[in-house]
Amino acid sequence: MYCVRNVTEDLYWVGANDHRLTLFENIHPIPRGVSYNAYLLLDEKTVLFDTVDWSACRQLLENMDYLLQGKPLDYLVINHMEPDHGASIEEILLRYPGVKIISTPKAFMLMRQFGFDIDNYEQIEVNEGDTQSFGRHTVTFVNAPMVHWPEAMVTFDVTNGVLFSADAFGSFGALDGKLFNDEVDFERDWIDDARRYYTNIVGKYGAPVQALLKKASGLDIKMICPLHGPVWRSNVAYFIEKYDRWSRYEPEEEGVMIAYASMYGNTEAAAQALAARLCEKGMTNVAVYDVSNTHVSQLISEAFRLSHIVLASVTYNLGIYPVMHNFLSDMKALNLQKRTFALIENGSWACKSGDLMQKFIEEEMKNMTVLNERLSLASTLHPDKAVELDTLADGIIESMKPQS
Amino acid sequence: MLYQTTQEHEAFRQKMREFAESEVKPAAFQMDQNNEFPTEAVKKLGEMGLMGIPYPKEYGGAGMDVLSYAIAVEELSRVDGGTGVILSAHVSLGSWPIFAFGTEEQKQKYLVPLAKGEKIGAFGLTEPNAGSDAGGTETTAVLKGDYYLLNGGKIFITNAPKADTYVVFAVTTPDIGTRGISAFIVEKGWEGFEFGDHYDKMGIRSSSTAELIFNDVKVPKENLLGKEGQGFKIAMATLDGGRIGIASQALGIAQGAFEHALEYSKERVQFGKPICQQQIVSFKLADMATKLRCARFLIYSAAELKEHHEPYGMEAAMAKQYASDISLEVTNDALQIFGGSGYLKGMEVERAYRDAKITTIYEGTNEIQRVVIASHLIGKMPREAGGPAKIMKKPAPVTGYRKKMILKDGSAKERVAALVAALVKDGYDFSVGIPEDTPIPLAERVVSAGKGIGSKENMKLIEELAKQAGAAIGSSRPVAETLKYVPLNRYVGMSGQKFTGNLYIACGISGAVQHLKGIRDASTIVAINKNANAPIFKNCDYGIVGDVMEILPLLSEALDNGEAKKPAPPMVKMKRPLPPKPEAIGKTYVCGGCGYEYDPAVGDRDADIAPGTLFEKLPADWVCPECAEGKDMFM
Repeated sequence: MYCVRNVTEDLYWVGANDHRLTLFENIHPIPRGVSYNAYLLLDEKTVLFDTVDWSACRQLLENMDYLLQGKPLDYLVINHMEPDHGASIEEILLRYPGVKIISTPKAFMLMRQFGFDIDNYEQIEVNEGDTQSFGRHTVTFVNAPMVHWPEAMVTFDVTNGVLFSADAFGSFGALDGKLFNDEVDFERDWIDDARRYYTNIVGKYGAPVQALLKKASGLDIKMICPLHGPVWRSNVAYFIEKYDRWSRYEPEEEGVMIAYASMYGNTEAAAQALAARLCEKGMTNVAVYDVSNTHVSQLISEAFRLSHIVLASVTYNLGIYPVMHNFLSDMKALNLQKRTFALIENGSWACKSGDLMQKFIEEEMKNMTVLNERLSLASTLHPDKAVELDTLADGIIESMKPQS
Repeated sequence: MLYQTTQEHEAFRQKMREFAESEVKPAAFQMDQNNEFPTEAVKKLGEMGLMGIPYPKEYGGAGMDVLSYAIAVEELSRVDGGTGVILSAHVSLGSWPIFAFGTEEQKQKYLVPLAKGEKIGAFGLTEPNAGSDAGGTETTAVLKGDYYLLNGGKIFITNAPKADTYVVFAVTTPDIGTRGISAFIVEKGWEGFEFGDHYDKMGIRSSSTAELIFNDVKVPKENLLGKEGQGFKIAMATLDGGRIGIASQALGIAQGAFEHALEYSKERVQFGKPICQQQIVSFKLADMATKLRCARFLIYSAAELKEHHEPYGMEAAMAKQYASDISLEVTNDALQIFGGSGYLKGMEVERAYRDAKITTIYEGTNEIQRVVIASHLIGKMPREAGGPAKIMKKPAPVTGYRKKMILKDGSAKERVAALVAALVKDGYDFSVGIPEDTPIPLAERVVSAGKGIGSKENMKLIEELAKQAGAAIGSSRPVAETLKYVPLNRYVGMSGQKFTGNLYIACGISGAVQHLKGIRDASTIVAINKNANAPIFKNCDYGIVGDVMEILPLLSEALDNGEAKKPAPPMVKMKRPLPPKPEAIGKTYVCGGCGYEYDPAVGDRDADIAPGTLFEKLPADWVCPECAEGKDMFM
């Protein structure tokens, strides 16, 4: 059965929802599922903007059959070649033999590299600023290198102000019937997944996102059609502001993320005690996570959200606890910057984790501050450390004040 | 070619040996025990014309060859390694640079009295952050019209403070590395030129070794040795020759120990025969003699090359490296042959064993000798090869980021008042205190005495200040170890006690690296020292430049609230200021083809792009090292 939604006038959503996949990119959990968005424009010419994951190909074909009603597909615009959007290209080509493919030179290279037999089809290579008319609609192509693949571009419909934004402005979460941002409670149900999507998938590429935002600021955007998640047709500035902040690595909120790695609950107790002190002192925007039981994609998302990060780790094999080390490595890989860290270390015979975490943050990451007030535990937080715990909480709160 | 010294050389050796046996040997044990300089013997060497052996007679020298000089050092070292190095440092390091690079006026003024032995010479290159790597030199000389203003300090200087004439190296053009270093002739007694610690050494204890301190020393322009920027070249050329001297010293020490062991092995009877007739001892002696002969030929050959103006840098390094390596082996074997008797103080082999060790260390460690030798074989290695990937950063202060607020304005009393006000503002409560004998690692506050405190009665000032500051008493290493003003367990440093409390007040402490490492974790460091260039000031939060005799009583008075201090509550570690963010060298650029980030601080080693190269300065044909996209794809 077809399942389509009208986006605007002659533009339709022809994608699909996926609740079966547990790990996006085989790494990030998606308990709320994910949507693969493709869009069909029924102008004088018919145009498909991107395809879907192979697992959703049948739904895409049914949707297109329904809308085209026997008409041929004239153009296939490929904004992004990653297989969750590009995997169905070959099937489209087989079904619609006269279709002309429009994409960037690098995307054509990738199509061949992935093994798609495209050379019997007309290929239209487009570069920055090229335009194409489909009848009433004229689109222009804007390169978006490294957001988050090198071949990526976005396509802007100058006729109706629709931006086909590829992976930019996407989100985890299946649409399940809803399509537009104003049909959901985005702040309540979607922002966390949108942040987790951006920070883990695109987070590393702050500079390329900034470059794209700069180009986008020159376009009169009315609607954003991303490849995952809701279509934005209102309050577009809200989401652009989030992207601007994330890609500049500025925190969204003043608050403290406490991520602890604890083997037997002693370090955990210290983390909880700190959380309580912070709240007692008035800083209640505190989020506590056990790194062993929280997927790192969520830790990353929270690290992008909050201004302060407390890392509490036991010493393990004379090193940082492996799961904590993995979190640190991921923060580095995703280029997180401009955060203030505080450290809690624990060790029962040779406490090393604090020094090692500090060294990692200072030497491997950029624009980070590590507060001097480190809390060192020998096995557990003894009552005589109460003053130091207080000092640590005070140090964190004080560092939130504007520096003179 | 007979590979033999001439009759004249052997006659000269005889003369030197007689002098050493009669004038040096009798006092050698006493000098070793008491750290005594052989003033009389050195004076006599001068009178005999032996302080300028290889220099022409017209400059007051003996007009003899380099080999004779090597023999002289060898023979002195044979009875006392310390006396040997006095001659070596005087001739090779203190006098030679003036002989080789000095103007005629400089030679007349400085070389003549040195060669005649009327004055003693020394050489000042080593600094806390510049040893084998002279590029780290921090002493500066700034030209001010007709004189240079010299500031900084040197450490481990042989013959200081006995020497009168010092060849000193200082930076005249900053930030260009070794090309910015120049050499100067500096006289003892000039205003602002002082000496720091006399080191309490393991061996060569009859030789004097001290720290040089320069505080706005005015060095006349005409005392620049060579040209500006030639300092590094002068230093390296000097060290090449100096190595022959140190090799000879190592040889002499080993020769002396060998002779003692040979003699002893003939006298010592065990199992019914002299131990030298035990094969294992006889083989040991055979090996020792072989090593000595090898070393001697290496040294004499290098000396001859130098005498005949042939290249000799590699050969001198080989001689120094080999002679000092085997000197350790030979003295070790000699002591072994002596058994327990050799382990006693007063035994020549015991002294030789300790004296020998320095020869593998100074005048370039033996590791550096191998670098020198290898560079002659292979050529100069590219500087960045195997080096750090990131640009060299200026060495951070040992104690980490500090406020470095040096109080200069106003009278001593006003400066002390400003210090107390700053401490109180930081949260120090001087109505409470801890017992003065609190163990250093547990103390919240420590008042520490350095050698600048002077005589023992001045420790009263420290005690009073400790009382008024509510602090325990600590000290620098020499104050506990050499002066014995406080027990050994109260000195602070890497090898002593670590202070991890809040307030550390360093009185008359210059700030040797090992001391600074012991106060790294202090929350606040206060320095009081009369030497404005003392390293402690780069490592402190608050500093007062002034005499401890004047400042300490004022500070005690200012902290005195007229009551006994109340017992301090449990220590709360005070917050330290965060270091300022390092400034980025330039903007980073991200490749649109793969996301690679070009960081100017790192450069691109595979493409021979040096660290520090801005993206804008990359060659036009430079491509992304990861995906080969051109520069235009970067954003």
